[in-house]
Amino acid sequence: MSRLKAFFLSLILIISSSTIWLTSCSESEISKPDFDRTTMLQNMADNLIKPAYSDLMNSVLALQTATTNFTENTTSTTLKEAQLAWEASYLDFQYTNAYNFGPAGPEGLQKAFIEEVAIFPVNADKIENAISTGTYSLTDANRDTRGFLAVEYLLFNVNEGSSSVVAKFESASRKKYLNDLMENLRSRTEAISTAWNTGFSATFIANNGTNVGSSTSALYNEFLKSFEALKNFKLGLPLGKISGQTHTEPTKVEAYYSGKSIEMLKAHMQALENIWYGRSKSGIDGIGFEEYLQNVTGGEALISATKMQLENISLAMDAVSTDSPLSVQIQNAPNTLDALFTELQKNTRYFKSDMSSLLGIAITFSDADGD
Amino acid sequence: MVLSTIRFMALGWVGDHFIKPTFHFHYFGFEWVSVLPPFWMYAIHVMIIITAFFVVIGLYFRASAILLFLLFTYTELIDVTYYLNHYYFITLVLFLLIFTPAHRHFSVDAKRNPVLATDHTPRLWLFIFQLLLAIVYTYAGFAKINYAWLIEALPLKIWLPANDTLPLMGKIFTWEITPYVFSWFGMLYDCTIVWWLMNSRTRPWAYATVIVFHILTGLLFNIGVFPWVMIVATLIFFSEQWHITLLTKLKRWLRYTDPVIVNAPNRVSRPVLHFFAIFFVFQLLFPWRYILYPSNLYWSEEGYRFSWRVMLMEKAGTATFYVKDPSTNKEGMVVNSEFLNSHQEKQMATQPDMILQFAHYLQSYYENQGIKNPSIRAEVYVTLNAQPSQLLIDPNINLAVIKDNWKTKTWILPISNE
Repeated sequence: MSRLKAFFLSLILIISSSTIWLTSCSESEISKPDFDRTTMLQNMADNLIKPAYSDLMNSVLALQTATTNFTENTTSTTLKEAQLAWEASYLDFQYTNAYNFGPAGPEGLQKAFIEEVAIFPVNADKIENAISTGTYSLTDANRDTRGFLAVEYLLFNVNEGSSSVVAKFESASRKKYLNDLMENLRSRTEAISTAWNTGFSATFIANNGTNVGSSTSALYNEFLKSFEALKNFKLGLPLGKISGQTHTEPTKVEAYYSGKSIEMLKAHMQALENIWYGRSKSGIDGIGFEEYLQNVTGGEALISATKMQLENISLAMDAVSTDSPLSVQIQNAPNTLDALFTELQKNTRYFKSDMSSLLGIAITFSDADGD
Repeated sequence: MVLSTIRFMALGWVGDHFIKPTFHFHYFGFEWVSVLPPFWMYAIHVMIIITAFFVVIGLYFRASAILLFLLFTYTELIDVTYYLNHYYFITLVLFLLIFTPAHRHFSVDAKRNPVLATDHTPRLWLFIFQLLLAIVYTYAGFAKINYAWLIEALPLKIWLPANDTLPLMGKIFTWEITPYVFSWFGMLYDCTIVWWLMNSRTRPWAYATVIVFHILTGLLFNIGVFPWVMIVATLIFFSEQWHITLLTKLKRWLRYTDPVIVNAPNRVSRPVLHFFAIFFVFQLLFPWRYILYPSNLYWSEEGYRFSWRVMLMEKAGTATFYVKDPSTNKEGMVVNSEFLNSHQEKQMATQPDMILQFAHYLQSYYENQGIKNPSIRAEVYVTLNAQPSQLLIDPNINLAVIKDNWKTKTWILPISNE
């Protein structure tokens, strides 16, 4: 027993002395360059998130002006202006697509921003019913009757064209519904934009840990969720790639009525790529997940793998033409889209398990996806 | 040796147990496991609290202990993704507790039926708990003696820097040396702490180390009640005198007077002795079963569970399942989140037996949806200790026709080190 004890005592002595020796070496020699998550959060807030919401706020206001104008003076010219304003604002929305936390997160009965204003496909029957009966609430569970894509449904008509839209807007109740939707959209956007530009930005930057509830964890999880939604629901589902589907479902694309699905898909992917790089919309590269990964064990390998795959996605995305709508291409040229889906799928592990594992962030999402 | 030591252990443990139901809410809410309706799940958790309280005060001790063991084990068995070594430890302690005469001193049973009352107990009743703790610690320590843990300081090298915002200590975790120190200390601690606790001279220092070690790990890692369980459980190594003093204070505070002692404790019967011998032989041998599997233990996890391997690796996976209808040859990708919560998905994605279980679930789900004999395959990429992720299992094999068993899983691909 005493010999055993002597053995352990000497072992501990050796360990502790070597520890002291090692720690007494100059700190710079043995410590890695510090990564400051605060800088990353600061860059995200100042150069990505806040500008994204400001842009969205402006374009939603412009859209509201255009739709009000259209309801007051219902012509094909004012419709065209409203349609263009819709496209611009929904493109801007794609740059906020991944930030469904904080003021854009769920609260009480209200779901996350994206679920309140960007549910697709919308339910045309329910919308028509709401218009004809005039009884509807903009806070209930019928989220597929409002938001950007309900406005899109009202402003565009795939089959019959603009003249039929103008004709339908002779109805006062249709005008009222559109105006109500726009007011709802404006106030929801304004609440989030204001929050980011007043107190929340500082809260976001100060909450610089990695645990559940920290800004990094929230940003990462929503980023991942957004990527998965792009892959599975904007592309996979209409392509008939999801288990249980027996055929393609082209009408389930995002922005079906305007035929702008591909533009939206591209903007969405661009926005996600920007988050990973820490890059602003105008292309100025700052501190993002890429820099964060540079400072952790195994990070370099993951960075090069991810960059290569993002490049592949970009090539596959460029191969998809914007000349005809996604819903048409799903039927005519599914191979290009299949290829894009495959490239996106290959990237999932880099964003999902590899990244969370290296950064020590927990994957916390899932319960909001299924319904 | 005073038998009440055991009781105290139960008391301390149960004190912690009361906070558990809040963690347990995770247990219900999944459609894919056969859980009882929510009301009964709540009822069972309430019953666990009640029986645990009965065990502590020693009321209907034997019946309460059996019921507690059964109920607690039931909640553990519901969902394997919730497997935690310390729940397993608690299950074993509860099991052993059933046999002990812990109700024969300082208990309601002893009050109600003074024939039971005694103030001595065979040493064995302490020994079994000490032995169990010794196995837990030492085996956890042995498991840490490996290349990744000691030489590469993995996975602590990954985990510690993520804690750099912890007050005061945070900065330390960004130093390159820190994970090495922690790794070596952790290994030495686990391997030897039981010896330091058994020796009366080193015991105060050892126990101080126990407190520091477990509180620190509790702060750093999300491991629930485990630190508190261990901090209290290790008190069983303290001296008889220490426990008597504590109990006397407790009795005075509760105004408990001992009944007149008329009976000496029963000797432990032979069958029970034999039974414990088998129990511990099993406990000693079972964790080594991984040797029988040719695969890399950390990669395949064949023989990983129930072996006191705690916090040993950083592992994460992305599992994508594909369901194919053989009649049309059309294959579809499964959106996991439609079936699993994030915790389950995360656990499943790295553990082959769970991947297989989920595949079988998908098989029956899609059979009900009208696909005849669906074939299920899974593309599973796993990263172990920050290595680039690679395929865990054969992505082309039809999991629907594979049965899980104790044999080595030939469809697990070997890990290659780059």
